[in-house]
Amino acid sequence: MILYKLFLQQCIRSKEVWISLLLITLLGVIGIIIGNKHLERQQEAIAEVKTYQEQHFDRQVSLHNENLGLLLYYAKFAYINNLNPLSGLSIGQADVNPTVKRITIKTFEGQKYDTDLVNPMNLQSGNLDLSFVIIYLFPLLVIVLTFNLLSEETETGTWRLVVIQAKSKLGFIIPKLLIRLMLLYVVLIFLFFIAKLILNLSLNFQFFWMLGLSMLYVLFWFTLTFFIISFKKSSGFNALLLLSVWLVLIVFIPAGINSYISSKYPVPEALNTAIAQRDGYHVKWDTDKLATVKKFYKHYPQFKKYGYPTDGFWLWYYAMQQMGDDDSKKERDALNEKIKLREQISKQIASVIPNMHLQLVFNQLAGTGMSQQMDYLEATDVFHEKLRLFFYPKIFEGKHADTIDWNQFTPEYYKAQIALQPLQGLATLIIASVVMLLISIPMMRRL
Amino acid sequence: MKWANIRLFIINFWCNVTTLKTFYLLYSIFILLTAFATVGGIKNHITQNNIRQEHQIKARQSWEANPDKHPHRMAHFGTFAFRISPSLGIFDYGLESFTGNMVFLEAHRQNSVNFSEATFSTGMLRFGELNLALLLQLVVPLILFFIGFSSIAADRENGTLKILLSQGATWKEILFGKSIGLFAISMLFFIPILLIVIIALMVFGDQTINDFRWLRLLIIGLGCLTFLFIVSSLTIVVSTNSSTSKNALLRLLGIWLLLVVLLPKSAQAMGNYWFPTPSKLAFQSTIEKEAIQKGDSHNPNDPHYNALRDSVLKVHNVSKVTDLPFNYSGFVMREGEKITSTLYKKHHSKLVNIYKSQNDVTRFSSFVNPFTAIKQLSMTMAGTDFSSYIDFQNKADDYRYQLAQTMNELQMEYISPKKESGSEGKTHVVGHEHWKEFQDFKHKPMAFSNSIKEAFPALISMLLWTIGAFGLLLFTSKRAKAI
Repeated sequence: MILYKLFLQQCIRSKEVWISLLLITLLGVIGIIIGNKHLERQQEAIAEVKTYQEQHFDRQVSLHNENLGLLLYYAKFAYINNLNPLSGLSIGQADVNPTVKRITIKTFEGQKYDTDLVNPMNLQSGNLDLSFVIIYLFPLLVIVLTFNLLSEETETGTWRLVVIQAKSKLGFIIPKLLIRLMLLYVVLIFLFFIAKLILNLSLNFQFFWMLGLSMLYVLFWFTLTFFIISFKKSSGFNALLLLSVWLVLIVFIPAGINSYISSKYPVPEALNTAIAQRDGYHVKWDTDKLATVKKFYKHYPQFKKYGYPTDGFWLWYYAMQQMGDDDSKKERDALNEKIKLREQISKQIASVIPNMHLQLVFNQLAGTGMSQQMDYLEATDVFHEKLRLFFYPKIFEGKHADTIDWNQFTPEYYKAQIALQPLQGLATLIIASVVMLLISIPMMRRL
Repeated sequence: MKWANIRLFIINFWCNVTTLKTFYLLYSIFILLTAFATVGGIKNHITQNNIRQEHQIKARQSWEANPDKHPHRMAHFGTFAFRISPSLGIFDYGLESFTGNMVFLEAHRQNSVNFSEATFSTGMLRFGELNLALLLQLVVPLILFFIGFSSIAADRENGTLKILLSQGATWKEILFGKSIGLFAISMLFFIPILLIVIIALMVFGDQTINDFRWLRLLIIGLGCLTFLFIVSSLTIVVSTNSSTSKNALLRLLGIWLLLVVLLPKSAQAMGNYWFPTPSKLAFQSTIEKEAIQKGDSHNPNDPHYNALRDSVLKVHNVSKVTDLPFNYSGFVMREGEKITSTLYKKHHSKLVNIYKSQNDVTRFSSFVNPFTAIKQLSMTMAGTDFSSYIDFQNKADDYRYQLAQTMNELQMEYISPKKESGSEGKTHVVGHEHWKEFQDFKHKPMAFSNSIKEAFPALISMLLWTIGAFGLLLFTSKRAKAI
């Protein structure tokens, strides 16, 4: 125990250590505040949508009471991806993709990918959230704390004394490393504690999962530095090598992979779908009305009872709108497949690179990953279908708008599903750490 | 300060570096990365532009394939505007992956520009993308740090510095000599990339567009040259001011991290924090509200439209709109389009100003951060920056307005005044030859003069940084100590 206490004192005696620990804590807190701001802005947007939606329907009903078909041409219904508080820690794709969607019952494909108001510069620079601090900056701190752990002893001439006096050399180095590891763990736990307070996180499975993964990630970097310092090279060499490893792992490899994915898997399907849905609907204005309505009844046999009226407009109109979705199904499926393929490839590649893997798992846990965005879009589609099925008969029967209870249409919420195999999340980090330890074993003997 | 001495130091530095085996290792890795980035950049550029051009044609074909119909149907049939990536995008991706590529243009509605690369990517994209600009602006400085960190600190450690100074060399000569030597080494990295870009532009660039690409490339090239000189002298200055070479390296790496990772990211985060973007709903509903105030064409008793109708009737000396010499419904839509478009333009430019304020924190941080300065300069000159994107948005919206108004005018001219409303059916139609007459959208790159205006702060800060670099060298030469 005394050994540990002395090592601790030795470690925190240095001013640099204090400064870097304080700096990272500060950045971590800033990251949490930024994440919190993001959540607050979403809440504000939700509040706006809520109040707006009521007035919106009142106005539409007063304008187009007799013309429900026209009313629904304008009426927008909110469907909200209510962000999990954990997304304050890992904003992920929640800034690119809108989380508050307002849709009409017209062609869904035409509205599905509408974006929010976003500044591309903000997107490119990315969010300075806690996940960034953990993934980018904690490894640097590990490097700063450990790069001269051994070499310092050699360079100041104390290593020979240690070799003579200590029972085992390993028994001398491991506690030194452990002390530093514990220090970083204290900072990590402290940051998660602050996050809990600021973001009002519940202490659930995902929370501890994130914390645990972060700790494993820091451990991985410790095993990596342990491997490198066990070569007993000079401090300068260690620092250089470790920073190069950091650069390669965190900057170059991901950058290269991103370029690879975007040039290998472009998404022309998106543009195909956009054109197909436009043509699917608009061309119907010039084709045979009867054929369109027939196609519509093929999709919805339950509406056949409304027959083939020659004078009514809205049945035909919404049948045409429906065709925008129905006739672009092939393109839409191809698009979905491509997106899934891209995600799968990303995941596969990331699963061997700890930092990229951690980013993806964080996003998964926070509900801000790519696949969760796709799930949300699918759920929006279901919501859209529900609205259609509710309104179609009322429009076709020529009901007046005031016969409908509009109060039931408050914004609806979607909650991201977190489907994560526990082992999947852990494996990469554990394997990486173990591999680093295994390859350092032959080194340890030569210490 | 004698030029002969400086030249000696330059040659000495050059020889010292080029005899190192590790240098060649580093150099080969760099060349490999360059090759990878080049192939990726060119391939991506060509595929993306081909995809977009093909779709522009496809969308056009289905526009032209429309039969005779009511022009208002055509206004809603609408068309798509595809953003074409500029040829210098091969060099600097800039914001390419984060800006939308396609916007649907129709009457009454300003749709969002959709389908950016980022919308189809996982969170991985935020780690950055490998491109030639990144290599030149982030990686080469790092290599220069690795090559130059010990140039003076090591001489001091092994005592060479004392000998040099006692033999008549001055500090100025040493500092300038080594800085220029390091700068000369950086040319080994710069020139291949420059050549690659020149060849790529000649081979793959669309020669039909006059986008001043060579002038743009020249400015980027000059910017990179000054940037590399700034980095070289900064390396030498830090090396001079550090007691040991280890310290020098750590300091330089610290500077790199601060200037490349932390500062740009926090600058943008601060901008975003101080100037919040309004929500889409708030943005749209403000326009909607103001449009209703101005005049609501849906409201049969709207004073604005009633007054309009009465004055039109009076001018033409008729009592009913169906007696007018033109289709009144087309006229009302033309008026409505004008009102909403003006309002939209006003609010959109307000929104863009908010974005600009957010970005200004980054733009002006180039005065303290040469890495941001060169990034802004090269992005703007390459045409992959924020302003080029907004320029596309504006051009697409202008085209949308033209489209809507042309269709409204066709309606006024060719649709019978007796047809008061509605646009379906085969009776009140306009010949399909008019669809072809309306030119397709073609994305023209932002005017060179606008790019220069946008890059102005970055240009000035590059200039100041060059002066600063000289000043720093001179200042250090007075203060430096040999021991």
